Amino acid sequence: MGGDLTNLEIENDAAAVGQSWQRSDLEAKVRGTFRYTADLPVPRCLYLGVHRASQPHARILNIDISSALEMPGVVRVVTGADLFGIYGELIYTGPAFADQPPIAIDKVRYVGEPIAVVVATDLITARAAADEVYVEYGELPAVLDVDDAISGSDYVHEHLRPSSVFSDLKHLQGRGETNVNYEYNLTSGDVEKAKANSDKTVSGEFWCPPTSHVAIELFSTTAWVEGNRLEVVTTTQTPSYVRQALASMLDIRLNQVRVRTQPLGGGFGSKMYDRLEPLVAAISWTYKLAVKLEITREETFVLTTRHGVAVSSQMSADSIGMIVSAEADVRYDTGAYADIGPRIASKSGMVACGPYKVANARVRSRCIYTNKTSAGPFRGFGVPQVTWSHESLVDELAREFGEDPAQFRRKNLLREGDVAPMGTVMHSADFVGCMDAVTSAIGWNTPLERARGPWRWGRGVAVGIKAVLTPTISNAVLQLNQDASATLLISTVDMGQGSDTIMAQIVAEILCLGPDQVRVVNPDTDITPYDTITAGSRSTYHTGNAVKKVAERMREKLISIAAQLLGVSETDCKLTNGGVVASSSQKYLSIDEIMQLHFGAIGTTLTTESNFTTEWIPYDKETGQSVKVTEHWFAGAAAVELGVDTRTGRIHIAHLAVAGDVGRAINPALVKQQLEGGAIMGLGHALFDEIVMDHGQMINGTLLDYQLPSVKDLPDRLTPIIIENPHQTGPFGAKGVGETAIIPIAPSIANAVRDAIGIRFTRLPLTPERLLMAMAGEGD
Amino acid sequence: MRPNVFRPQSLQEACSLLEEHEEALVYGGGTALQILLKQGILVGSSFIDISGIPGLAEISFTDDFLRVGPMVTLRRMERSEEIRELFSLASSAYAKVANPRVRNTATVGGNIAHGDYRLDPPVALLVLGASVELTSRNSIRKVPLEEFFVDFQVTDISAGEIVTAVEIPRSIHLAGSSFVKLSSLSANDWPSASAAVGLMENDNGVHTLRLALGALAATPVMATVDIRNLNLDQTLEASLSKAMELMDPIADVRGSVKYKLRLGRVAVEEAIRSAWKEVPNGR
Amino acid sequence: MNMVFQINGRDVGIEVSDSELLLDTLRHIGFSSVREGCGVGACGSCTVLVDGKSVSSCLVLTSRCNGSSILTSEGLADDDPVVSQFIKNGAAQCGYCIPGFVMMVSELLSENPIPTEQEIYNHLEGNICRCGSYPEIVQAAMDASKAKQTSKLTC
Repeated sequence: MGGDLTNLEIENDAAAVGQSWQRSDLEAKVRGTFRYTADLPVPRCLYLGVHRASQPHARILNIDISSALEMPGVVRVVTGADLFGIYGELIYTGPAFADQPPIAIDKVRYVGEPIAVVVATDLITARAAADEVYVEYGELPAVLDVDDAISGSDYVHEHLRPSSVFSDLKHLQGRGETNVNYEYNLTSGDVEKAKANSDKTVSGEFWCPPTSHVAIELFSTTAWVEGNRLEVVTTTQTPSYVRQALASMLDIRLNQVRVRTQPLGGGFGSKMYDRLEPLVAAISWTYKLAVKLEITREETFVLTTRHGVAVSSQMSADSIGMIVSAEADVRYDTGAYADIGPRIASKSGMVACGPYKVANARVRSRCIYTNKTSAGPFRGFGVPQVTWSHESLVDELAREFGEDPAQFRRKNLLREGDVAPMGTVMHSADFVGCMDAVTSAIGWNTPLERARGPWRWGRGVAVGIKAVLTPTISNAVLQLNQDASATLLISTVDMGQGSDTIMAQIVAEILCLGPDQVRVVNPDTDITPYDTITAGSRSTYHTGNAVKKVAERMREKLISIAAQLLGVSETDCKLTNGGVVASSSQKYLSIDEIMQLHFGAIGTTLTTESNFTTEWIPYDKETGQSVKVTEHWFAGAAAVELGVDTRTGRIHIAHLAVAGDVGRAINPALVKQQLEGGAIMGLGHALFDEIVMDHGQMINGTLLDYQLPSVKDLPDRLTPIIIENPHQTGPFGAKGVGETAIIPIAPSIANAVRDAIGIRFTRLPLTPERLLMAMAGEGD
Repeated sequence: MRPNVFRPQSLQEACSLLEEHEEALVYGGGTALQILLKQGILVGSSFIDISGIPGLAEISFTDDFLRVGPMVTLRRMERSEEIRELFSLASSAYAKVANPRVRNTATVGGNIAHGDYRLDPPVALLVLGASVELTSRNSIRKVPLEEFFVDFQVTDISAGEIVTAVEIPRSIHLAGSSFVKLSSLSANDWPSASAAVGLMENDNGVHTLRLALGALAATPVMATVDIRNLNLDQTLEASLSKAMELMDPIADVRGSVKYKLRLGRVAVEEAIRSAWKEVPNGR
Repeated sequence: MNMVFQINGRDVGIEVSDSELLLDTLRHIGFSSVREGCGVGACGSCTVLVDGKSVSSCLVLTSRCNGSSILTSEGLADDDPVVSQFIKNGAAQCGYCIPGFVMMVSELLSENPIPTEQEIYNHLEGNICRCGSYPEIVQAAMDASKAKQTSKLTC
């Protein structure tokens, strides 16, 4: 055993970080052999079919389940009263307010809310029997508009019920006679005075409609009872949260609930917190049944949405075009249940003035109940909606001064070390670099032929800022196996962003391993440790740091064992490809040898664990100020060149460039895909993607009517650009990128439309009809 | 509940089944029926699957007609070289329906029988002067397509009748033609307006413009315009005024009435300009 | 009814109900590359080839496929050029929709070995990749076309 290094060709050239490793599951995904959650083996199950509310707000006077029960194959029909009778108040769950029953208890609060669940021997029977449930409603006035919800006296909830799940939301208040469940306020400087002394002021009333995530993988949850434990296999981005929520609801210990998920067929924020799990778990646990709920696309449309948001905002600048004040009144339509809406209202409220040096700022951001599907997290976490406001305003302000919109922004953008309006300093957020990269990519300063036949051409730019969710927790457990392969246990859910691949790269970088040597175990709360959520672009930084730490500990542990075996000091040892070498003696032991000598057996494992927790200073509840409101910032920008067909109103995008400051790209190919993918999703939101409601009913709730970008909606050119300003505490300087691209897309397009046809649009999406009617002077 | 499916092996058997089971629907490609079933719009119907009946999936040419069996898929219409050569307007309209998978499944008969006001093929077929052959247990009749679409989702098919062919006459010679489909949301969406135009020619040149519109009224609609001695601008003016008479759009998620009226005009103009380019030497 | 069809080259005899959909049949017997995404033929995640023609299996009666030959992405050869080029181009993020795209590209290249970029767009317009891997997918389709041409020349 052992040997001299000189005799072994060992080079530490297997650098993993910064390499575009192939996605670890790519081949299986292309061949179709990859197993998603619904493909996992589960016990023989009964199937659930859900009868859903047809009224947006009504008392449930009577539920007639007799016809459904008579159908062959129907085992039982469960109603809210059944579950409330057993669990009482515990049946209400939610990350911010414990306001959401898994099934309507006494009244319905949105069209699509579950009222009765059929348990049947097969899926077709379960769904058919659900149609045979008859509900007698006592109609209540429905709160359907976010501003009516503020001013009116009809309430979605009689009283508010704060939850206690997350520490950043522990200040939530329980109140009555209001639909406003949370209000975030930010004030700095003296807005009135600054405005009075300013040279020019612009203002606007902005609106972003609710949209649907439409992850193509449908939701699926299966639950069954094993002894005194509940097993759950579900499509979730938040396995740790789901375990805790189910244990609390059922009043059992955390180790009595096991939650597993496979990598998801898309998430985008939809598969978070309380989706199907409380309902399925309650039925399984109560009746000791193995049950499975798979919902249709039509049902996913009423399960969760992106927040519709109204923003009334103003921005003023002094005589030399420096922004002196900014204000925003932001109203988040959170639907029937708060979900994570309060956090969204605060996290995006704090950046509602944009990435600018603004000494005088005032923001009020409210989260408001209405009788609609509960809105939740959606890629960007509410920030794209406020960016729609500030990037439209700043563009208009530039135009007021007759200045180039990019140059005007450059003067005002926050730079490294600057303090943002909420009091936190900027670091590793290169707004100027992002903006310069995208404008340069589309040839911002080159001549543009503006009129070509019926087409009018223009260019636009927008910049985005977002704070990462803070505080949060990530954990990692690493096993190094005797054969120098490694097994990483984390609860981060790979949903296409490629976290399994980049976490493997981080381990490989530190332990000098190759692409096939690190396996990442899928989330399983019996095995993989707690992780706050897989969302908000937080995993690269947070789980990445936990993983870096766990791998470093493994390196230390290995070196310590090797040093003993080699009879040298630890500082003399260095981990290199496949083993440890002593610098002084050039003696070398492979990992295999170290493990065998240490344990005296083959097949052994060495284990380390780590935790990475971020901290913040909670913002002042009156002023929103905090010197550390977030662990780090996301910076991004988009620039676009487009034409508007003046006959049809249709927009044709010639070039869309999008840039994000990712600190450091652990895997540049995957980062580029995230930038592209975010841009394409953002393009849908800009042009046509929206939920259309009529009297509380969604009227485009199938994929025949609901519009998503296809390959034919792509820009002629799409240029993703990686900007790297390493973050001092990021793993290898890295930060996440999942949301960066989507944030500035819609305003960049609207700004280009403004440039092309001279009309400012304040409502999304920018449909051909909206453009055409506005050009005809008949706009809304 | 899921429907029963009958699988007749002859046309006669199919007609008898249709007579026996009044609620039964003829199952061609099934794309539309499956969607209606899933959306709960069709409940408890029986289906008569006509795919087992010999001879219903043929494309044949006679001296007078192109005859297309009801079970010919939309994709075959799109890809048939003979059809592209003789009736390029039909090929281009069939090529625009939904996506290749739907076109591989949906059939010519079902597409017509569906009677939806937004479908692409009927618009082209109207300009081509097509007719529909309807067969019942005791009779066969031919209905000009112009008379076939009666009202919103209502056709002239009577109880007991099956679409057994779509026929396109070879007598209508088009010197130029074009199909234009404009969507208002994503590029792959249903149309908010579509227009087909054919320019009829005889020895004295182009004399009649045949115009049909889709998605702009409760049914596909058509008109002819006498354009003898008219130049392009005059043709556009005459045709657009005729088109305005035909349009009576339905407001929905794809646009208001006002918007669709505007878009309809654009579709018509674009189709005329494009058809006009195909006429040798202008006039 | 009892029926026999070929799936990925192997004869399969099964009993299906009248109204069973091909998507459900295929998943039931283990072909999990075929996935429901919309149920209305609009997303392409359940695409399979029936006698060489792409269909949305969520809209097709299984009974209609009696005697047919069905190809799912699991049935493509190990060295299939479409599969190889999707892998080479990293044409997947979450991957859920990708087998549908692979089958559409396979159909396209069998009908039209050297498609233009526009023809690729036309053929793929009914498939939704919500992650937005379209640029890599289109590149993979073009590269697969080239790879097929090259392998023909060398044969």
